[in-house]
Amino acid sequence: MLSDLICATATPSGRAAVALVRLSGRGAVSVALRVLHWIPEREPEPRRAYLAVFHEADGTPFDRGLVTFYLAPASYTGEDLVEFACHGGLLTSSQLLAALTALGARPALPGEFTRRAVTHGKIDLIQAEAIGDLVDATTRAQGRAAIRQLHGGLSRRLADLRETLIDLLALLAYDIDFPEEDDGPVDRTALGAAIGRTTAAIDGLLETASLGERVRRGALVVIAGRPNAGKSSLFNALLGIERALVTEIEGTTRDTIEADLDLDGYAVRLADTAGLRSSEDRIERLGIEVSRRYLGAADLILLCVEGGADLTDEEQSLAARSNTLRVNTKVDLCSLPSPGVSALTGAGLGDLKRLLVDRLYGDVELLGDTTPLLTRERHQQGLAAALAALRDAAPEAGQGGDAVLAAHHVRRAVTALDELLGRVDVEEVFGRIFERFCVGK
Amino acid sequence: MIVIGGGHAGTEAAALSARSGAKTLLLTQNLETIGQMSCNPAIGGIAKGTVVREVDALGGVMGRATDRAMIQFRMLNRSKGPAVWSPRAQCDRGLYRRAVRTELEALPNVQFRQGTVARLRLRGDRVAGVVTTDGREFAARAVVLTAGTFLRGRIFIGVDTVIPGGRAGESPVEEIAQDIDALGLTRERFKTGTPPRIDGRTVDLGRLQRQDGDSEPYWFSHFAEPVHPAQLPCYLTHTSDALREIVAAHVRESAMYGGAIGGRGPRYCPSIEDKIVRFPTASRHQIFLEPEGLETREMYVNGLSTSLPVDVQLRLLRAVVGMERAEMTRPGYAIEYDYFQPTQLDRTLSVRQVKGLYFAGQINGTTGYEEAAGQGVVAGLNAAAWALERAPIVFDRSMSYIGVLVDDLVTRGVDEPYRLFTSRSEFRLLLRQDSALRRMAPTAITMGLYGPAEKSRATGRLEAEQEVMNLASATTIRPDQANDLLGRAGETSILTPMRVAELAKRPNVDLADLLANAGVPRDYDTTRWAAIEIRYAGYLDRERGMAARLAEMEAFPIPAGTRYETFLALSTEAREKLTKVQPATLGQAARIPGVSPNDLHGIVLELQRAGPPMHRST
Repeated sequence: MLSDLICATATPSGRAAVALVRLSGRGAVSVALRVLHWIPEREPEPRRAYLAVFHEADGTPFDRGLVTFYLAPASYTGEDLVEFACHGGLLTSSQLLAALTALGARPALPGEFTRRAVTHGKIDLIQAEAIGDLVDATTRAQGRAAIRQLHGGLSRRLADLRETLIDLLALLAYDIDFPEEDDGPVDRTALGAAIGRTTAAIDGLLETASLGERVRRGALVVIAGRPNAGKSSLFNALLGIERALVTEIEGTTRDTIEADLDLDGYAVRLADTAGLRSSEDRIERLGIEVSRRYLGAADLILLCVEGGADLTDEEQSLAARSNTLRVNTKVDLCSLPSPGVSALTGAGLGDLKRLLVDRLYGDVELLGDTTPLLTRERHQQGLAAALAALRDAAPEAGQGGDAVLAAHHVRRAVTALDELLGRVDVEEVFGRIFERFCVGK
Repeated sequence: MIVIGGGHAGTEAAALSARSGAKTLLLTQNLETIGQMSCNPAIGGIAKGTVVREVDALGGVMGRATDRAMIQFRMLNRSKGPAVWSPRAQCDRGLYRRAVRTELEALPNVQFRQGTVARLRLRGDRVAGVVTTDGREFAARAVVLTAGTFLRGRIFIGVDTVIPGGRAGESPVEEIAQDIDALGLTRERFKTGTPPRIDGRTVDLGRLQRQDGDSEPYWFSHFAEPVHPAQLPCYLTHTSDALREIVAAHVRESAMYGGAIGGRGPRYCPSIEDKIVRFPTASRHQIFLEPEGLETREMYVNGLSTSLPVDVQLRLLRAVVGMERAEMTRPGYAIEYDYFQPTQLDRTLSVRQVKGLYFAGQINGTTGYEEAAGQGVVAGLNAAAWALERAPIVFDRSMSYIGVLVDDLVTRGVDEPYRLFTSRSEFRLLLRQDSALRRMAPTAITMGLYGPAEKSRATGRLEAEQEVMNLASATTIRPDQANDLLGRAGETSILTPMRVAELAKRPNVDLADLLANAGVPRDYDTTRWAAIEIRYAGYLDRERGMAARLAEMEAFPIPAGTRYETFLALSTEAREKLTKVQPATLGQAARIPGVSPNDLHGIVLELQRAGPPMHRST
């Protein structure tokens, strides 16, 4: 299980106490030993850290650090792998890489270590994506979703779906290839029901797609309202910093401002928009156009309404949208039903934050650890393709349908899942038949 | 060219070799058993029937012989889509044997000799001929070995009776088996079984469910329509509780369950012991009584394959409904025999390390007359091509079940006796029994396998079918011509004239009827191909798209003798499998279990690094 030797720094470049350099592939151990000038009295023990001096190709020592050896297949990549912890900064890690390449290693391509882990079956493609997500995660919820995906939540669910479809293929193959058996023809109603259950399960997963995408990329929350409704104040209050300019002059915010917010562990992209009104000012009009586009893309709209004011037509139509939350602002000036906030005093802010989390991510909490989330467009497309194929299969699998065509469509569905996961094998289909039916004269 | 063996693989190999123009010798232990059906007296069935059609379309004998010997015909799966309609015929064993001999004797290039081959003669790494046990020598540039179940065959009845034999009453072959061992091939053991035969006069047929064949006549062959023999019924009955108890009580006395046999048997041809042990809750199993022939009342007890002792077999038979007074004419038995892992062959069924040596049939780990015949065709054509110094021919998976069969064997190998199913093909809709001639004729014509009359008959047929297709696209049908038909089919009527081809897409509306109503009647049989192509058009397009993608992979050659151990990017498993199978193309490599898309990527990179892909020399 050894491929050619690659090396790369695993930690970001720049000043730091420690930099981690990894070396993986055929000859990793012997190349490492040469850099360390290790006289092999005895082989290094795997998974044990050794303090050693690192040498350049000409033999000059340049650093001292910890080295850990992993032997295939018990390593991240599934190959022989060596980890060097050298001192941080630009110099030492590049000296180390130079020493390694001088001995035959080549610089790794982006993601190549993880790619090798997939190649060697340490993880599947979906888990590899989760590693990327985990590295990119900035909030606890993102981290949690990534970890769940990495631990195989989604992979297992897709594998289960695929299993069901292989069972279906086996039944259809039995129907076609074994027409004169003891057990008689396959019950078409049961076939139809099995397809129904699978489509429902895929539907269920697809429903999590927007949520999963939301967790991974952060929910877009757009603050809207008429000029001077206190939008920018709310924006700043939620962020906890003076990010947007706040004046008493209507139309101060002309362009939309975005900022990232960690709300109780969930990622939120918060956008402050120009106040909605008809304006003669060309720049302000452009700003309002931008606001409207943001409103179209928003996961949630916070409609700011100053202390009990009547709603304009546009505000009313906004308030009627299912993803709009009306927020009464400047409650320090009057008393009003919640949710109401005062950016000035901070009253109601905590409640509003909790409400936001609930509205945006309540379903995630409800799903808990039982349903994996689809976090990528790729997952969604693969499952949508499988779903479409199964919808085509349903009438053909039922009474009076053509089993050959049903099998054709189910196979399409399996292929779609395979693109997410693995490969179909015809022997698998026969295996199922022989487990279940007494076939053969 | 020499063919060793006169079974279903050997006879097709001889026929196709002779048609290729090679001087062909069929050498067999007993000339009387050429074309012998060792097990059930039937040809065809699911996927198998399509193979018979393909073999026939290439010039083989199986279809023609079946047409002369059939005593009952049924189109299986008629209730399912036409893509999987599967012709099957019960045959008179004697008529079948004689018909095969007659068909072979009609080919001037075939000679016959009776004799048992003891040794291959080799010159370097090439075949030079064979030597028989009685010392006769025959020189040849190519040899096809179709030993069936005869290599070290052992017949088992119960745990105490072991008879060396290749079939009941026939000797096994030992010497040639040793000779092949010396070539260093991997040899393994399989087992298969056959049920007892009974005297039909002792069965109460009146109590059984009579099964008649189809009333429509059918001919497997594309080239002749001889008058079929008289037709006979089969009978359906079933096992009883008593039978189950007998099997359960005596299962340890069975050769299979008593530990006498180690070889693996086919899951889809289970013995009655298997059925009872594996499905103890099934209340009963079907038994089909099939006539052995027109001039005998002996019957084949399909469904009761067994290796129990003879006395237990008789008690079993008498525990079948309607067979309480049955007399057993021949006991059933299990047979264990040598086969060679077919991954040691290339796609022409040639043994990789010996040039000019080909294996076909059960020696490759398959089961079934039709699977044997399909391999016989491939081996015969390629052995003749080798002998005549012509280019080899490879059958593509997307073009025929013969291609699926050979590719599965040489790519995946076998771990139980291999049988074809439609589910083994990813092109089930393309590989239909009605399209066999269209798929095979171009190859047959290019290779010169047809005589002049056959060629004109084949091309005439294909042109007539194509003419129907063109006619369907070009002809419009008026509402007053179509609506009656549509109404009867439960379809909505049309308001304006429409193309016949458009209306023929609707289920339950037949193309032949539409053409007749539109004033251009055509013979029903000739319209079948176009009718199915029109009905399945979208699906066929998708399968053709898949076939085209496969063709791209198949067009990427992997040089013979590629040293995978130097390919660092491959997984260990892939490296081992690739070394064993030696795939000829990237497509074949992709089908090897354990070779992942990543491995394929690695192969491409390594081969490109090594330089432009070489053209494979053969």
